Amino acid sequence: MINTRQLERNLLVVAGIIMLNGILAVNLAHGVLNYQTLGAVAFIFAGFMAANIVLCKVGHTGDPLFLPLASLLVGIGLIIILRLKPELFMLQVMWVGVGLSAFLISAILAKRLEQIAYFKYICGFIGVGLLLSAILFGVDIGGNKNWIIMGPIRFQPSEFAKIFIVLFLAAYLSERRELLTLATKHYGPFVLPHPRFIAPLIAVWGLGMLMFVLQRDMGAALLYFGLAIIMTYMVSGRSSYVIIGMISFLVGSVICYNLYSHIQLRVDIWLNPWSDPSGGAYQIVQSLFALGSGGIMGSGLTYGFPTMIPEVHTDFIFAAIGEEMGLIGAGAVILLYILMIYRAFRTSLLSLMPFSMMVAAGLAVSMALQTFLIIAGVIKFFPLTGITLPFISYGGSSIVSNFILLGMLFSISEVRGYDAK
Amino acid sequence: MRNDMNDLAKNIRKVAFGLLSLLVVLLFYLTYIQVVQSDFLIAHPLNRRTLEASRMIPQGMILDKSGEKLAYSKKVGDSFKREYPYGSIAAQVVGYDSITYGRSGVESTFNSDLTGNNTSIAHLGAVSHLFTNRSGNNVVLTLDATVQETAYKALGNHKGAIVAINPNTGAILAMVSKPSFDPNEIDQQWKRISTDKNSPLLNRVTQGLYPPGSTLKVMIAEAARREKVIDLKEKIYCEAALKIPPDYILQESHLEAYGNINLEEALAVSSNVFFGTLSLKLGYKKMKNTFERFGFKRSVGQELQEVASHLPDFSSLGDGDLVQTGIGQGSLLVTPLRMAMLASSFANEGKIMRPYLVDKITGLDGSLIKTFAPEEWLTPTTPQLADEISKMMVKVVRNGTGTAASLPGVLVAGKTGTAENSQGDSHAWFIGFAPADNPQVAIAVIVENAGFGGSIAAPMARQVFKAALQ
Repeated sequence: MINTRQLERNLLVVAGIIMLNGILAVNLAHGVLNYQTLGAVAFIFAGFMAANIVLCKVGHTGDPLFLPLASLLVGIGLIIILRLKPELFMLQVMWVGVGLSAFLISAILAKRLEQIAYFKYICGFIGVGLLLSAILFGVDIGGNKNWIIMGPIRFQPSEFAKIFIVLFLAAYLSERRELLTLATKHYGPFVLPHPRFIAPLIAVWGLGMLMFVLQRDMGAALLYFGLAIIMTYMVSGRSSYVIIGMISFLVGSVICYNLYSHIQLRVDIWLNPWSDPSGGAYQIVQSLFALGSGGIMGSGLTYGFPTMIPEVHTDFIFAAIGEEMGLIGAGAVILLYILMIYRAFRTSLLSLMPFSMMVAAGLAVSMALQTFLIIAGVIKFFPLTGITLPFISYGGSSIVSNFILLGMLFSISEVRGYDAK
Repeated sequence: MRNDMNDLAKNIRKVAFGLLSLLVVLLFYLTYIQVVQSDFLIAHPLNRRTLEASRMIPQGMILDKSGEKLAYSKKVGDSFKREYPYGSIAAQVVGYDSITYGRSGVESTFNSDLTGNNTSIAHLGAVSHLFTNRSGNNVVLTLDATVQETAYKALGNHKGAIVAINPNTGAILAMVSKPSFDPNEIDQQWKRISTDKNSPLLNRVTQGLYPPGSTLKVMIAEAARREKVIDLKEKIYCEAALKIPPDYILQESHLEAYGNINLEEALAVSSNVFFGTLSLKLGYKKMKNTFERFGFKRSVGQELQEVASHLPDFSSLGDGDLVQTGIGQGSLLVTPLRMAMLASSFANEGKIMRPYLVDKITGLDGSLIKTFAPEEWLTPTTPQLADEISKMMVKVVRNGTGTAASLPGVLVAGKTGTAENSQGDSHAWFIGFAPADNPQVAIAVIVENAGFGGSIAAPMARQVFKAALQ
């Protein structure tokens, strides 16, 4: 049996070769070899290898797939950012470096995950605080009013809040499993536990709605709302929670749709983008053009025109991948996410403690929801929501928070149950 | 506790299954967009990709039949700009190419050849860049730049159109429309060009609709002979006007009473009374059949983007309107191209070849990629009748209304027309072909609101004949 870290190292080499290949392709298409970018590739590769060595040294036996999968996604992200916005490339490289350190810290610290459960309310407050800070003090950068600026530092709190919210919900819910399962109150056809026990859930739901309405951040709202409902379902096994949650969200959405013109606009654009392709639906129509023009094989790196899409390097980066790398590239990215999320759920199922099960599952759900929402928005499967594509989109907050999330998953994956053998 | 853990695991498994299925659904929808919808999205007019891509590589040239450049790409900075050495002379037929305002003419209809996008290796993705020659293909037209330039100059400052075709093949030798514009200046002058009330962007040869006037009489003569409503020797007594009950009076244009004349003499002097009488003898049914026989209700194909002719509703036509139609007036409207094709049918033993503008597509190295062979379109009449009408048309030029079109040493066949219209002075027409004994070029000339066909249009036709036969 191959040592897990050995396997991880081999896979990292494969991912590194793919990244080098893409960076070289972008470089050579412009006719000049930029040694700075090659140095950056070496730096990233060395970073992942170093992480592998550190994990080896501390005797970590976490899932050997997480790091290579992240490395591949990061590599694809760097390639496409170099192609779209070369001036942001080095910044993103730096963020990946920071992210990797955060991954290691998180992977080692999260070994004491059980202790975090004691501080669940602190986690909850931090999460809610982060979200509230974005709502109250949010600054509009690039169309999203979810940035916090503190002196030289600016970040998107909602990217980090999800980790705390997951920790809080996991701890809170896993402690109250019986209460939620044995519902006591009857409301018409639905049975619910006493309001006292689901109050925090209602708080998360309300927060989601608040973000929806005040920040126009439909993506984050759906993410947190979905997270609360799905995690509640996981402990209770009651689909009535899901149904009630969906109904309440639908009702809320219909009200918002009628009250707020910007939400109306988004939904109308989604339903019929061709009625106003040069106005409100410009971005999504350009995204569809990019994807369609890419076809199966893609135009080849640098041979497409993804820059016709506004904000292509953040929200619409997936469309750029679809255009230049084709269905093969974009499909591969979706498959990478599927693999990563599958491994995350597997981690959850192989875990021994209900709390760590819930944390891993919650993180998996948040990653799945986020990936689904942004890709579905870009390919017009769902109304567009402005959230980032994990590990690929440009942005420090997104990269670092996802590495922290991955570190936690990695750490939980080490604690193998007897069933795993 | 153990049971409880199993429940939790079961629920998580369900959630995992649900969410992963959602992502798989996404994969399917992505495939739908990138594969099924791909062609629609690539071809969508708002997708500027093909336009932008065409700027990155030199587009192919548009050449005349002898290799004269009508359009080529010149490198300006990083991208390429289209240059048109002939400027306004061939503006409508060659077309323009603008990022902002799109394309017209051959630049538009043969864009995929010019940009080289039609090659099947484009579907190979990144790999295709290894094989593409990074340049479009050349489009070689049937146009003769010398004839085109002569025709352009012949029209002078008049509004109008001249089209010259080879009657034996349908190859278009010249296609001039005036007023014109300079395609080199399309971006700078767009506003003026696009709002000019004289429509310089309009290719009058294929998109201008005019009453054909007396030039149509050659077709009525053919119909009368084919339907045997008149003998070659038979004479009709023509007064200066023909009364048609209840209240229509058809007059000769010069109010001249021609007396007893036969078909050939009537065509030479362009007698309205004579051809009005023939139209009545033919009746609306046979008139209608004649128009259909000569293809006035059929499209000549997509390439030339010709507008449909406007024919009267024959079934409800009164005698007065029937007579009007017979002399090319009334509600009848045709394109100049149609009239050149009508002339070509008598030049080519009764056959009309499908008119075409692009001879072949060649690669950068001159290698042949595609050729467009001449194609028989219609056979409206017999070689005997074509010969008969052709001889009458020679008489028109020798000693009738069309003498101004005659060339020394060349037998020219033709017919003039002076078409009344609602826009002002009459349109001057000339249609014909030369040499009549071995036709090489058929022509239609229309000069808007310029007066008599014999004195205005016929001399222009003469210049074009001369240039084309050199």
